[in-house]
Amino acid sequence: MKNTSQTLRTIVITLGFLSVALFVYDLIIFVRLQPKMVAFESLTGFEENLITWAGIGLMVILLFFLLSLLSLVRHVKSANEVRPFPLFLIIAGVVALLCVFADVALLSDIHKQYRHGLAQPEWTLVYPIIAGQLLVALIFTFLHLSGFFVRKQPDEIVRDINVFLVVQYVGLVCGLMGLTSAGLGFIYRTAYNPLTHVVLTGIVLLFPYALAVLYWLMIKLREKERQWFDEKQLQDVGKSALLTLLISAVYMTALFIFNLQDLAGVVRLVWLPLHLFGVIFLFSLGNLWFSKRI
Amino acid sequence: MKLGNNLRKIRFEHDEISQQDLANAVGVTRLTIHSIEAGKFNPSTLLALKIARFFNKSVEDIFSLVEDESEQ
Repeated sequence: MKNTSQTLRTIVITLGFLSVALFVYDLIIFVRLQPKMVAFESLTGFEENLITWAGIGLMVILLFFLLSLLSLVRHVKSANEVRPFPLFLIIAGVVALLCVFADVALLSDIHKQYRHGLAQPEWTLVYPIIAGQLLVALIFTFLHLSGFFVRKQPDEIVRDINVFLVVQYVGLVCGLMGLTSAGLGFIYRTAYNPLTHVVLTGIVLLFPYALAVLYWLMIKLREKERQWFDEKQLQDVGKSALLTLLISAVYMTALFIFNLQDLAGVVRLVWLPLHLFGVIFLFSLGNLWFSKRI
Repeated sequence: MKLGNNLRKIRFEHDEISQQDLANAVGVTRLTIHSIEAGKFNPSTLLALKIARFFNKSVEDIFSLVEDESEQ
C-alpha cells in the first residue's frame, strides 16, 4: 500500500513538472503564433505541429489535475475537518480542471476562425486562463513535493463526513458554473449553439461533480456496516431536498411563463441545464448550510 | 422545553475522548456529535441510548429537559 502511494506520488510529481513545462510551452508558442494567425498569414507545417502538440499536452495536464484532486480528497478524508486551505485547493483544482476543456474549446474555435478568415477574439481569454492554470499547477506540484498530500496515519473514521462535504463544495462550484454558462444563453442568444453550449458544456461541467459523487459512493460501498447517511445527515439532506424542491418549482414555473411569451426563444435550449445545475447548486448549498459549513 | 445535555463534560471526564472516537463508537459522523453538544440537533432515542451505554451511564445522566428561555 505504501509502495503504491509512493509510486503514485512519483507519477504525479513527474506529471506536475511536465504540466508546468507544457503551460510554459503553450504560452511561448501562442505568443509566437498569435500575430501570424490574427494577420491570417499562412502557418508552416512545423507551426501546425506545434499547435497539435499543445493539444496533446492538454491530456497530460488533465491527468495531472485529476490525480492531484484525487490525492487532495484522500488527504481531506483522513483529516479532522475540511479546513479552508484544502477547500481552496479543491475549488482551484476543479476550476483548473474545467479550464482544460475551455482551453480545448477556445483553441479549436481560434483554429477554425483562422482557417475561415475570421477574427479571433478568444485570444484575450487564452492567456489569463493558461496563466491561472499554470499557477494552480505550480501550487499542486510544490505541495506534492513538500509531502503535503502524504497521508499521515489517519484516525479510524467509521462514518465519513469530509468526503460528503467535499462533494457538496464541488456541487456548489459546478452548479454555479453551469448556471452561469446556461445564463449566458440569454445574453448571447444568436451565438448560442445547442450541441456546444448545452450538451458538451453540460457534460464537461458535470464531470467533476460526477467524479466526486462516484468517489463518495465507492467509500460508502466499502463501509463495513453500510449506512448511507447518519441521522443528522439524513435530516440535513431532507431539509435541503425540500428547499431544492420549493425553489426549483418556483423558478421552473417562472421559466415556463417566460418561455410562453417567447416560444422560439432561448429557454427551449437552456431549460435542462438551468434545471439540472440549479438543482445541484441548491442541494449542495442546502447541505452545507444545514451542516453549518457555510 | 428543549433537550439539554452535558455530553462535552462527560467526554472530558472520560479521558477527554474526542468527538471522532465517540462518533466511531456509536456509528455516526463527527458533525452529529458536534451538533448534539451544541444543542443544534436532538438525537434519536436509539442514539441517546447508545451514547449512554458507551459511557456506562443512564440517558438522564447525559440528557435532560431544560426550560426554553424563549418560551417564558
